[in-house]
Amino acid sequence: TPHQATPSIPCRSLPTRQPANILEEARARLHVSSVPESLPCREQEFQDIYSFVESKIIDGTGGCMYISGVPGTGKTATVHEVMRCLQHAADVDEIPTFHFIEINGMKMTDPHQAYVQILQNLTGQKATPDHAAALLDKRFNNPAPRKQTTVLLVDELDLLWTRKQNVMYNLFDWPTQRHAHLVVLTIANTMDLPERIMINRVASRLGLTRMSFQPYSFKQLQQIIMSRLNKVKAFEEDALQLASRKVAALSGDARRCLDICRRATEICEHSTTNPSATGLVGMSHVMEALNEMFSSAYITAIKCASMQEQLFLRAVIAEFRRLGLEEASFQQVFVQHQALCRLEGLQPISVSEGLAVCRRLGACRLLLLEPSRLGVLQRVRLNVSQDDVLYALKAD
Amino acid sequence: MSKRKVKDVHRPIGECITQVCINLFSCSFDFQTHNSLHLLELLRRSAIQGESNSVLIVGPRGAGKTMLLQCVLRDLLQEKEAQKNLLQVHLNGLLQTDDRIALKEITRQLNLENVVGDKVFVSVQTEYYEQILENKTAEKSPGDRSSSRPVLFVLDEFDLFAHHKNQTLLYNLFDVSQSAQTPIAVVGVTCRLDVLELLEKRVKSRFSHRQIHLLSSFGFSEYLQTVRTQLSLPDDFPDRGFAQDWNSSVQTLCEDKSVEEALQRHFNSSKDFRSLHMLLMLCLSRLSVSKPSIKPADLLDASRLCLCDAKANMLHGLSILELCLIIAMKHLNDVYEGEPFNLQMVHNEFKKFLQRKSNSMYNFEQPVVMKAFEHLQQLELIRPVDGSSAKTQREFQLMRLMLDHSQIMEALQKYPQCPTDVKQWAMSAFG
Repeated sequence: TPHQATPSIPCRSLPTRQPANILEEARARLHVSSVPESLPCREQEFQDIYSFVESKIIDGTGGCMYISGVPGTGKTATVHEVMRCLQHAADVDEIPTFHFIEINGMKMTDPHQAYVQILQNLTGQKATPDHAAALLDKRFNNPAPRKQTTVLLVDELDLLWTRKQNVMYNLFDWPTQRHAHLVVLTIANTMDLPERIMINRVASRLGLTRMSFQPYSFKQLQQIIMSRLNKVKAFEEDALQLASRKVAALSGDARRCLDICRRATEICEHSTTNPSATGLVGMSHVMEALNEMFSSAYITAIKCASMQEQLFLRAVIAEFRRLGLEEASFQQVFVQHQALCRLEGLQPISVSEGLAVCRRLGACRLLLLEPSRLGVLQRVRLNVSQDDVLYALKAD
Repeated sequence: MSKRKVKDVHRPIGECITQVCINLFSCSFDFQTHNSLHLLELLRRSAIQGESNSVLIVGPRGAGKTMLLQCVLRDLLQEKEAQKNLLQVHLNGLLQTDDRIALKEITRQLNLENVVGDKVFVSVQTEYYEQILENKTAEKSPGDRSSSRPVLFVLDEFDLFAHHKNQTLLYNLFDVSQSAQTPIAVVGVTCRLDVLELLEKRVKSRFSHRQIHLLSSFGFSEYLQTVRTQLSLPDDFPDRGFAQDWNSSVQTLCEDKSVEEALQRHFNSSKDFRSLHMLLMLCLSRLSVSKPSIKPADLLDASRLCLCDAKANMLHGLSILELCLIIAMKHLNDVYEGEPFNLQMVHNEFKKFLQRKSNSMYNFEQPVVMKAFEHLQQLELIRPVDGSSAKTQREFQLMRLMLDHSQIMEALQKYPQCPTDVKQWAMSAFG
């Protein structure tokens, strides 16, 4: 039957190559996808979630937990690790067996698809959202002998918001039923999500078991990288510290830190002429990677713009200064532009050409423009600060 | 060498010229070797070592972003190992306007319709992302990472994908590229410099923040060099004699002072290669059997054609009455400092002119003036201040002039047989 066919990508003709040198080995280990067995620096959170879920499983009761934190702080990875450990404990009969189901709000076209996915993961049957909701209701509200506890992980909770909030309501209401044996773990980014978007009866059912993942500090980031590298000596100590300090100062996102380190190994590989004798990744390589990934391109873009485009930007600023506003119509700017052209000894350009120049700047978002149907009447605003523009134009 | 000499046959000039247009513009730019190496290295690692990556190519329009990607892919596919493994999916933000269409397209291009075809068409409410994107491009067991074929996703007009609902497609693509599933490489191509600000923060966190900026940081001498190489015929052109003549004529063309000035002007206004191609195409279209090489005059003509003002050209085609109305509007704009006007005001201004001149040559009836006014509106030389045209009567609807004064004056200078008194009226400071 077609249902049993598992869709898959065709296989490669040749297997992947094994990493050839230290840098490649390091790069493979630093890839975000190679999640380590145990996550460093999240022991406390791991313990909290573990004991919460474990106690619910042992008691055979239900409950909810809300986990928040900015992206890249290890929320999903920690929960997955908890589940792995619990599964292991269940396998050796320390705790009763349980079901683990995972849904992700971002991976559904519609919030109501959540029902369908939960039902499919629980029983394997397919149904429309309404029917699935009814079946799940029946399953969780009625007593049944030898019922297993179900642990449900809901990632990206804010995407399950609907106007009536019935999906969220059901998800948080089922665990409160006596016969449900359901533990719901929810993950989202904002700490005050329950207060902000949920109506009272939903927020009250979510309960007060909250946990927030703090952004990683630089020491933690450093430790994460060290544990990933796991004795592969590819980085200088200072280089690691620089990368982690920089990321910790900006966002505390572990993904970013790993990406930077990975990029730095690439730069290091290129900088040496002899591929076999690759050195360690030093400060300069990390510096270059940081510049590549954090710097904004606006200033270089202005520097590389054509003469007329640069003049137009200067005209925009001149007009802003004259008006004392942050907005001017194209017509006003164009008058300034013509004056500047004469000043620079260039041939004045026609209005069509001026509009084309303006449009090109608008297309790469150095300027913000109104729809170009308005022609010379369209209003022009800068998308970068005036200081940046002046700096870029002065530097050459 | 001798063999080639034997082959050296002279062909009729007409045939040569047809060949010229086919041969030119085929060579690639090599300004961005650093960038292309970076991209090539990245894609090679995806194809051969099964590493997942994501990268954005950012640069202004006409800077050669797609060209760079194509060159890199061409180089990559010359390697046998990469060629055997790599699957490619090309999406364009202008075509795949929503995620549903994009997913269908992915299914089609991965050629997996037979497998998932059932799921796409049978289920009423498709569980799209889970079922299609994830299962298809990926199986969750980490063992598959090394055995399944890498997929390259090219997202042209990447910024338009960021406007899809919840950015689900981008989230899923980046998520697969950051998890131990099928190795995929996501390459976005966009002209917006602020593209990262469009991404939601969880999507942004999953993106690897590699950006390749294609900015045209070359000077005029390189520009001139590009013109020369673009126009020159390659060595393997069938008729070598013709090719030599042609190349030397291109050489003399590029050394001409007036040509250099015209090119400098184009270079000043924009550095993109597409407008350069436009200019050169206009030159090439003037070739004929009797004139088998480009002369400086051709390029100057083409340049003039490229740079002419569209609105001023439209003004040349107006009737005297319409031109008079435009002049009246210009005076109104001068007097009232850009406040909007209506037909009555324009007509009054026009009447004042007629009274002074006392010759009744342009004494038109009100409906005629109105017709002319409407014609101007149809040409979009004037536009209503607010869109609600039905509410007010046409005579009293407020309008704005969509022309710059310099355009009006320029058009008046070139207008065929413009009456002197109209010209004088236009010049005079206050109507």
